[in-house]
Amino acid sequence: MDNFIQIKDVAKTYWSNDGKIETKVVLPLSMTIGEGEMVMFLGPSGCGKTTLMRIVGGLETPDQGTIHLHGDLLTGPDRRRGMVFQSYSSYPWLTVRDNIKFGTRYRKDISAQEKEEVTDHYLNMVGLKRYADFYTNRISGGMRQRVAIARTLASSPDVLLMDEPFGALDAQTREYLQFQLMDINKAEKKTTIFVTHDVEEAILLANRIVIFSSRPARVVREIKVDDILSIEDRRNGTADMDRFFKLRAEILELIRAEYAHTLEEA
Amino acid sequence: MFKSLFAFRKPLNRRTDLVLGITGFILFLTMWEITVRSGVIRPEFLPSPVAVVQAFVNLFVERNFASDIVISVSRVWFAFLLSVIIAIPLGLLMSTYRFAGAILEPFVDFVRYLPVPALVPLLVIWFGVGETSKIAVLWMGTFFQLILMISDDTKRVPVEFVESGQTLGASNGQIMRHIIIPAALPNMIDSLRITMGWCWTYLIVAEIVAANSGIGHVIWSLRRFVKTPEVMAGIITIGIIGLLTDQAFRYAHTRLFSYLRR
Ligand SMILES: Nc1ncnc2c1ncn2[C@@H]1O[C@H](COP(=O)(O)OP(=O)(O)OP(=O)(O)O)[C@@H](O)[C@H]1O
Ligand SMILES: [Mg+2]
Repeated sequence: MDNFIQIKDVAKTYWSNDGKIETKVVLPLSMTIGEGEMVMFLGPSGCGKTTLMRIVGGLETPDQGTIHLHGDLLTGPDRRRGMVFQSYSSYPWLTVRDNIKFGTRYRKDISAQEKEEVTDHYLNMVGLKRYADFYTNRISGGMRQRVAIARTLASSPDVLLMDEPFGALDAQTREYLQFQLMDINKAEKKTTIFVTHDVEEAILLANRIVIFSSRPARVVREIKVDDILSIEDRRNGTADMDRFFKLRAEILELIRAEYAHTLEEA
Repeated sequence: MFKSLFAFRKPLNRRTDLVLGITGFILFLTMWEITVRSGVIRPEFLPSPVAVVQAFVNLFVERNFASDIVISVSRVWFAFLLSVIIAIPLGLLMSTYRFAGAILEPFVDFVRYLPVPALVPLLVIWFGVGETSKIAVLWMGTFFQLILMISDDTKRVPVEFVESGQTLGASNGQIMRHIIIPAALPNMIDSLRITMGWCWTYLIVAEIVAANSGIGHVIWSLRRFVKTPEVMAGIITIGIIGLLTDQAFRYAHTRLFSYLRR
């Protein structure tokens, strides 16, 4: 299904508290995302990526425009769109396992027994079995983020929304999680929107990369990475390096140009 | 050994903590005893620690002080619980729904700044000199503070906790029960502990002005006969009860919220 998520003419403006200064964050913007597609959002800081993602997640209401999922008009947040936040949002009063299990808490499609199984499945997937009974302030930041990801996956959303989920992590953990995400994607084909500042991460994970302009966000360029580098090659580390670097340079140049606008404006 | 005492913003081990706490008291008592013995201050004004201990025993033996303690403690707990059971739901409501906050906050802020001692005459006119007016004084002194503290505690729950709950499919009621309350509970228990302290302050105000029983009444009536040791024993009793209550709250806090320990 090609238009699994349909973003139509979405716009958002923030007003300063005294109502005098307006900040147009998203211009009327339209986009479709296919079922099972992994879309990476890139763009200069402050351009409106988080805002757009939060609108898709139902956590922010657009001033105009609509979002349809599978043909249904979306209004508020619900279990169909799972969100992984940049800051660690695992619950400190629950153990690692109970945090992940919390993801299944409001599911009515599976039995209590199945909830235990789903919990164990994702606990193993993110490699935290040994830490199952730890409270989350006793584990590292990277582990906490894995807990948050596993919890979201356990809720079985139709769409996974990830806002710089690996932004605060060290290089090794980041790489480990990137490959885990690729494995998950191979196994489950989750429709995913992923915001990142890391161009290589984008190239590694994306089916498609969307590059945004400086604020207000509009789409500058869409790149179907699959047409340039096959996902298998990227996963196995056998991708053509020339193409990889050429693509990387091209994307960096686009973002740099947009970033320059941001500075001019300021 | 000494170096570990000065570890910057690091916890000490429990033993050291306890020893230091007791040392503080002993230092204070020693200074006190020295001051009295040096004769700079007349014993009617500052009796020696030993005299105070004797007075303390006398209070129990001769004045049936235990029953006064029971009465004061019951008043404090009754008023405390009355504040808590109303303030918690209202505080939650205030932090959850903007309209409730908009209605209640200015009013609560206003009442919160009224000096409670000044309200005592009014409360006596309204409720007489019986138990009701004492409970009313304590309640006035704590309820309006507590409601704001509870509201703030819940407001401080990170947005991400609430929003992740929403995207996991929790209803508003479920978010309140399964996320906001557990997340805010440690701070709420701390708020209760602090409120308990205020209860004791206002209890004495209430018992001094209008009572014929309770620790405050005992202290105030002995004052007339300049029984300084007894007055000080009474004051110290409150300190001890306060200390014990506070420690009980802290103990419960560490037991209940062991997950906060690093
Ligand atoms: N609640 C808000 N009220 C007012 N302005 C806001 C609010 N949220 C975001 N903004 C503004 O909207 C703009 C876009 O913010 P957004 O967080 O969407 O950017 P971003 O693309 O995610 O940036 P980054 O890459 O740095 O995370 C910023 O200029 C920000 O100041
Ligand atoms: Mg952002």
